[in-house]
Amino acid sequence: MCLGIPMQIMAIDRFNAECEARGVQRTVSLFMIEDSEVAVGDYVMVHVGYALRKITQEEARSSWELFDEMLAAVPE
Amino acid sequence: MSENLEAARVWLGRIQALPITEPIAVMNVCGGHERSLTHLGLRAVMPANVKIIPGPGCPVCVCPEEDLADAIALALSGTVTLVAFGDMLRVPINAAKGDVNSLAAARAAGGDVRPISSPQEAVAMARENPARPVVFFAAGFETTTAPVAAMLAEGVPDNLSVLLAARLTWPAVDMLLRDKDASLDALIAPGHVATIMGAEEWRFIPERYGLPVAVAGFSAESLLAALYSVLRQKLEGKPFLDNCYPELVSAQGNARAKHWLAEVMQVGPANWRGIGIIPDSGFTLRGEWQRYDARARHTVLAAPRKRAGEMPPGCDCASVVLGKLGPDQCRLYGNACTPQHPVGPCMVSDEGACHIWWQAGMRAA
Repeated sequence: MCLGIPMQIMAIDRFNAECEARGVQRTVSLFMIEDSEVAVGDYVMVHVGYALRKITQEEARSSWELFDEMLAAVPE
Repeated sequence: MSENLEAARVWLGRIQALPITEPIAVMNVCGGHERSLTHLGLRAVMPANVKIIPGPGCPVCVCPEEDLADAIALALSGTVTLVAFGDMLRVPINAAKGDVNSLAAARAAGGDVRPISSPQEAVAMARENPARPVVFFAAGFETTTAPVAAMLAEGVPDNLSVLLAARLTWPAVDMLLRDKDASLDALIAPGHVATIMGAEEWRFIPERYGLPVAVAGFSAESLLAALYSVLRQKLEGKPFLDNCYPELVSAQGNARAKHWLAEVMQVGPANWRGIGIIPDSGFTLRGEWQRYDARARHTVLAAPRKRAGEMPPGCDCASVVLGKLGPDQCRLYGNACTPQHPVGPCMVSDEGACHIWWQAGMRAA
């Protein structure tokens, strides 16, 4: 429940951002992020629909590698 | 392979080169860490003397029976829509045979129970149908609770209320370490809890207990870096607070998230299922925000329970949560209790050690 997922910001409307990861789009709240902290194109770590913090593209990529490894390891 | 894996190999090489002659027990306190450690197979590559123990990292597992019973009673009342994170729906409580013993069973019995994956879904549901009371049953640690606080601070419709079963992580670790019998040598602190609350929250471990601690992320690289840090601290006899997830975790954490938490909630003693009351370990709504408390608003709550707070008979989940037993040491593990037919919450939740070990193919000892 405490595991965040990295997403990229595609558009921002006040406290809400349209974010995307692996082709999936989701509305993410920026209410826990400082006003000037993020812009379109940035990556954020998202947990239960809320951005926890801005992250670098590098960090987003390595987090996704981890998810891929774990998804590959878990039997359906 | 990836740079990430290359870096992980470097840390692993360093760990394997450490002169570890005595047993060292390292506890992690995050279900996400346990998932990564187990699925990446990191236990198998540790030096023989190093034992990694899953600790209290599963909020669903410690959610008190009485809170679940209240949520079930509300759902069965027929007067509200009960929403909860999906993990909560299959968690069983002790109930007489034939009685509704989970939110999933309440839904099967006609209760309006809906799984959500974000607080914003609860808000949207309440907005769509302003005449219908929506109760958000919110269990979780700081990472999940800060968004609940932010949701309320941003403004919610009047027909939404919150049944809060939110807990802080560090007080359970503090309680464990205060126990003189605790045979723990080092701790790995949770990365996304620390993203919100800050690494400094874990400084009490070296300062009060003289034990090493490192905040870790969820990749092999970050977890191995943290394991190397605490093992080396232990060998050198110089415990300190290390941060092996600096990309996300700062000393003080997310200031705005902490602001909303402090604004909307207060901290007090709270019951942990199978464990008991832990001081300063639970969130409740404070001040004007108490008007969103489902308990104040709805009288249809469960009758007081005779054996409130207990795990199901024969279930060792409480000992598993406290790191006193491994999942495979429970008598029910894989016998009466599997993810398809879970007896205890540790086999239900994605963050429960029993569920994680079973999914990774680990069978009874």
